[in-house]
This record gives sequence, C-alpha cells and structure tokens, in this order.
Amino acid sequence: MSNDIDSTENDGENGIDSQKPEKMFTLKKWNAVAMWSWDVECDTCAICRVQVMDACLRCQGENKQDDCVVIWGECNHSFHNCCMSLWVKQNNRCPLCQQEWSVQRIGI
Amino acid sequence: MAGPGTSGGSGSGSSQGNNPQFLKQIDLDQIWGDLKQGIEQVYNSQGMSKARYMQLYTHVYNYCTSVHQQSTKNGGGPKGKKGAAGGGGGGAQFVGLELYKRVREYLRTYLITLMQDGVDLMDEEVLRFYTKQWEDYQFSSKVLNGVCAYLNRHWVKRECDEGHKGIYEIYQLALVTWRDHLFQPLNGQVTNAVLKLIERERNGETINTRLVSGVMNCYVELGLNEDDPCGKGQILSVYRDSFENTFLEDTERFYTRESTEFLNNNPVTEYMKKFQKIPNGLKELRSLLEQHITTQGLTAIYHCGESAVNDPKLYVQTILDVHRKYNSLVLTAFKSDTGFVAALDKACGRFINNNNVTKHPNQSSKSPELLAKYCDLLLKKSSKNPEEAELEDTLNQVMIVFKYIEDKDVFQKFYSKMLAKRLVQHMSASDDTEAAMISKLKQACGFEYTSKLQRMFQDIGVSKDLNDKFRRHLTSSNEPLDLDFSIQVLSSGSWPFQQSQPFTLPHELERSVSRFTTFYSSQHSGRRLNWLYHLSKGEIVTNCFKNRYTLQASTFQMAVLLQFNSTDTLLISQLQELTGISQDILIQVVQILLKCKLLISEDEDKVCSDSRVNLFLGYKNKKLRVNINVPMKTEVKIEQELTHKHIEEDRKLLIQAAIVRIMKMRKICKHQQLLMEVLNQLTPRFKPRVPTIKRCIDILIEKEYLERIDGQKDTYSYLA
Repeated sequence: MSNDIDSTENDGENGIDSQKPEKMFTLKKWNAVAMWSWDVECDTCAICRVQVMDACLRCQGENKQDDCVVIWGECNHSFHNCCMSLWVKQNNRCPLCQQEWSVQRIGI
Repeated sequence: MAGPGTSGGSGSGSSQGNNPQFLKQIDLDQIWGDLKQGIEQVYNSQGMSKARYMQLYTHVYNYCTSVHQQSTKNGGGPKGKKGAAGGGGGGAQFVGLELYKRVREYLRTYLITLMQDGVDLMDEEVLRFYTKQWEDYQFSSKVLNGVCAYLNRHWVKRECDEGHKGIYEIYQLALVTWRDHLFQPLNGQVTNAVLKLIERERNGETINTRLVSGVMNCYVELGLNEDDPCGKGQILSVYRDSFENTFLEDTERFYTRESTEFLNNNPVTEYMKKFQKIPNGLKELRSLLEQHITTQGLTAIYHCGESAVNDPKLYVQTILDVHRKYNSLVLTAFKSDTGFVAALDKACGRFINNNNVTKHPNQSSKSPELLAKYCDLLLKKSSKNPEEAELEDTLNQVMIVFKYIEDKDVFQKFYSKMLAKRLVQHMSASDDTEAAMISKLKQACGFEYTSKLQRMFQDIGVSKDLNDKFRRHLTSSNEPLDLDFSIQVLSSGSWPFQQSQPFTLPHELERSVSRFTTFYSSQHSGRRLNWLYHLSKGEIVTNCFKNRYTLQASTFQMAVLLQFNSTDTLLISQLQELTGISQDILIQVVQILLKCKLLISEDEDKVCSDSRVNLFLGYKNKKLRVNINVPMKTEVKIEQELTHKHIEEDRKLLIQAAIVRIMKMRKICKHQQLLMEVLNQLTPRFKPRVPTIKRCIDILIEKEYLERIDGQKDTYSYLA
C-alpha cells in the first residue's frame, strides 16, 4: 500500500526549524467531521411517527424540511414543533405523559 | 300391401301431376329418365322455370317416399299422406341409395368429359377454363342440391347418423367428385399457371386477378371436412397442400431477392414503408431488432472480459457505444417510431441488467454499482477532469444508462456513499456539476430519491458558513487555537456514515473540540454533536527527522504518532490503552505507519498486542508533504459488505411500507393480488424478489399489521 502514498513535490532540502527543539510531532491542522442530531431521548416523533431528524410528513410534503425543528416540553419529551403545535390546539397535554404541556425549548 | 292402382299411375302421368295422393311404389327407372334430363338442363346452364324445378324436386320426393317391398302395410286412404306431411315418420324405411348412386355416376361422367376439354390447356387458358367451369359447376351443384333436398334431409342424414362414411349431401358430393375427377388431374397445371400469373404481377404487369381469386375460391371450397356430411368447417387442406406451400416458397424467394436489391439502392425508411403494407410485418421487424440489439449489447460486454468488472468507464462506455449506434438507427432509419423506440428500450434494459458482468454470484447489482462509480470518476477532482461542457454531455449519457437500470436503489446507495466521500474530503471537482447531477437524478426519479443527496450537499454549504463564523469568533475572542481547525457538521440520518469507533481524544485536540462545541451550542439549541474521528484528518509536523516533514494523516494516525512525543518505544497494548482505539483497527493503523517507515517493529507483518514498535528516527522522504492517510483494507471491505447489507435492509422496509399502503386501502386482499400490487409499486425503484415479499408479509403479521383470515389460507386482512 505504501506505493500508493501520494506526495506533493517539493525541493527536498529544508533544514529543521532550529527555533523549537521541542516535541517530535506537533499538530498543524485538523479537519474534523461531526454529526449533529437533536438532543432527544426518543428518535421518533410520537405524534407523526417519523424520525425527528427527518421533517414531519407535512413539511416533507410542502418541501419545508429546513423549518421543521424539534420542541421539548418541561417533561423532557420531544416532538416535531409543527406536530406539537397542532396537538396543543386540541389538548394541552404531552401526548406521552399527559402532563400539562409547557415548552422547555425549541430547537434551532 | 301397396295402395291400389298406384304402380301404373306413376308413369309419365305422375311426372306431370306430381300429386301422390296415395301410397305408391315407384321404381327409380320410372323417374330417372326425366330427372336426368332435368339435371342435364341444370348443368348445361339452360335456365329453368319454377314449375320444372318443382317437378324435379317432386321426382326425388316421390322416389324417396315410395314404399318398397319391406315397407309398412299401411291401409290406403288419406293416411297415405304420412310420408309427405310428416317428412319420414318413425320406423319408415328411408329410400335413396339407388338415386344417390345414379346422381354420383352422372356427376362423375360429366366431369370426366369436361376434364378432357381442359387437359391440354396451359397458363391463362387453363385458368380461364378452370374458373369458368368451376363457377358454373358450383352454381349448378347448388341447384342440384336443392332438387335433392329431400334426399339430403332424410336418406343422407340417416346414413350419416348411422356412421356410414363416404356419403355426402349432394352439394358436397358434387365437390368431392370435382376434387377427384377434375381438380386432381388439372391442379398441377392450374397451380402453376396461378404462380406464373402472380410472378407477372410482381414484375409490374397488369393481370386478371379474378382468375387467381377464382382458383383460390375453388381451392378453399374444396377443403372439405370429411367428417361432416354437409362439409361445414372448411379446413383449407386443399388450399394449403396444393397451393399455399409452393406459393410461400416462391414468395420467400422473390422477396429475399427483392429486399436485397431494394436495400442496396434505397434508404431503410423506404424499406420500412414496404413493411407497413404487411400485416404484422412491423411487429416482426421490431422483435428482430430487439433481439439483434440485445445480442450486440451482450457480445460487446462479453468482449470486455473480466476487466469490465473493475473498470467502470470501460463498462459504461461499452454500453453507451451499443446504445448510441442503435439509437441513431432508430432515430434516423425508423424516424423514432414509438414501436421501434420501445424495442430499443427493451433490448437495452435486458442487456444492461443481465450480462456477462452481472451473471456472477453476488454481482447481480453490478450495473448500478459500476455506473455510480463511473459518476464518481467523472465528478472527483482529478488531472483528467474533462471540460465542463464535455462533462455535462457525459453526465447526460450516464443518465441514458441510468434510465435502463432496474435496481435504482443500488445506484442510489453507491452514489450517495461516493458523494458523501467527495464532499467530506473536499474532492468534488465542481459544486455546480454536483448540483446539476443531483437535479438530473431528481428529474428522473423524483424528490424522494435525491432528498438525502440534496441534504448532504446543503450541509456542506452550511458548514462553510459555520467555519467562517467560528473563525471570526476565535479572532474576536483573542484566544486563537494552536492549530488550523476546520469542521464539517453533517445532519445525522442523511449521511451514509458509520458511528465513530471508540477513541480517546489526544489532549492536543481537546481544546479544539471543546471550543467548537461551546461555539456550536451558542449557535444552535437542542442539538448534540457526535464527532466522527475516523473521518477526520489533519496535518502533523515532524521535528525529529532530518527534514521537517508535513504528514497528511488520519486522526487515528495522528493520535498514534503523538504518543511518541513522550517516548520512542511502545507496546501495541500500551498504544491501545493510550489511544482507546480497538485492537484490530489499531494494528491496521500501525501497519500503515510501519510501511511508511515512520515506525519500525521486529514483528513487521504479524503485529500483535505484545509487539513493540519504535519511532524510526532515520525516516526519509523526497517530498516534504507526505500523504500517509491511505484507506485500510478492512475499511474498504467492510464498507462494501455493509453497503449490500444496507440495501437488503432498506428494501425490506420499502416492501413492508408498500404492503401496509396497499392493505390500508384494500382492507382485505388475496395473496396473489397483494404480490402483484407490491411488484407494481416498487418496480420503478427495484425488482423485489417474491420470497422477500413473503418474508415481509410474515414480519407484518408478527407485528400485527395484518392477519390471515381464518379458513381462507391465502387472504389477509388489515389490522388498523
């Protein structure tokens, strides 16, 4: 495999930087990759049964994926914000624990 | 006992009076003289009055109803009418054989004589003779048949009912006699003459087609069904045996010569116009074209040999060459006739999805895989990247092949994997081209097919902004990081990446992670970050070798190398503890470092947890920037296996979803119908296998989405 290692041409002669005789290796650059997800206990929205990382069906249909965020109640249960806003119009309780619904935070 | 005084009265008297009031015994000879005269009159086409016709009919009737020796001894008087009125009452003896024989003999003699007139004629002469005589004879025989109607209805019918062979109704008798005594001796000449006439017409002469049709009518009429006394249900045997076979041979010869000549001198479009005149001719030609293209495609791929399996470009180009050739044929020669376009499509679908490359086990989905890999070659940064306009054209051609791919879901899997890599590793040649390709796929397969690809693409844009913001944030905070940090934040669920393996972050990277995490929380709410260290990479500068090198390394490689800041020798087990990397992965990481000669070990090829590895201070490389970040073997292998496994799993979900959709609508559904509908719904994406569908039905029964209806083995009902 070492044959495949590709290197950038350079003029080969470039003495050791004399200023710092410190560590053998120092980091110069780091390109990190991370995955974000909603900080939820359950991946699925109990109201529409779609994963909270995906937009709810209504938003998928209307092509508004980006606006479909998650909402947390004081009970720490979470749903799609749009699903919950329809739900509370009929019943102001958390569909999972039946506690009075009060918003803890809305995802951004 | 016959009625009184009948025998005498039936002479010439009865032939006039035609009024058989009483039972009588009539000998054939008493009527035959006049009847024969009448028949001659008919066959000489002399014309006949109704009265005379009735007279003849009566002769036959009288004869058939006359009581012979063994007949019943009915008393005289008006009762004698029974034969006339009742049309042959039960038990009565049917009389007719002698009359039948005489009629037959008459026809035979008549035709043998007639035949003498035609035997020396040739060509049109013989045709004119034959058709004229046939028309007359046919007409006359119909009249004779009418005259003998009573005989047909009773004596002939009875004979046939009793199963006597060789007895026909009189018209059939006439045909059989013609066949045996006129057709047989003359048919050679006649058929020959017809064929000659047809040949002359083909060569442009005007001919008397009535001669041909007359003969044909006769041949068709002579194809008697011998099992049916009235000859119903012509069986064309005479036509076929005596004419059609020779005619078809002749025709084939003619048109083979003709079409070769024609194609030599004319464009195919003109040729096609000829085809349109033939019933089913175009259909035949279409299926020939389809077969031909399929064979050409299969052969072309076969000739690529095994190399096609590992050479996406060769494979796709081979397919495209065949398609291009026949597409232009269909376009120009067939003027894009829908039928021929369909033939091209069918053929391409067949050889693209089923060929020498896909026939190997576990390679049935090779076509979509190779096509996706070809896209990757085209879209990845490389010295060989074509010009934008040319690339656009090539991608359009890729879409041509894509259209024919059956397993579009497999293409999607591979495409999204490779797109993900291109994006995360900044290997895309051009964002615009990437976007253009995604929109082509979207156009072909709909929004859902590309939604994840689009999301990935979008994430990269968002990450760019995010990095800019973070950099500004660092500058304004006056506490810069001690390394050049950048990040891509991807939305989980859209990217085909595995979770990170266990890993202990080196303290050199901790600050970057925590600073960014804090920053990210300030930008967003309710999100958590999951760092994918196996996808992260960086640059590490060496201070311990003769030159100061910059190594482009994976995060795992960086973590391992950083451990040598505090010592130049470590056991694998120690490294494992320090880095938290699982042993099998760690060994592979170390092996690559050994190969690069950054580390050395006595166990070189068989590194295990007890192996000792040392930093190699004599490391040398001609270049100062060295990329040591090469993929690990198992990484590649596991990835491919996983891809196929994921495809299978995703298919099961898609099938289950389709079943639920259908059952939700139908409520109750038969097994076969359910299978059909599932296949219909999913075929645009992939071809589900029936056993898999069955397994999915079982899964859904287990999950209580469906149940079998009691007593009906093959019917399901939907449980809401």
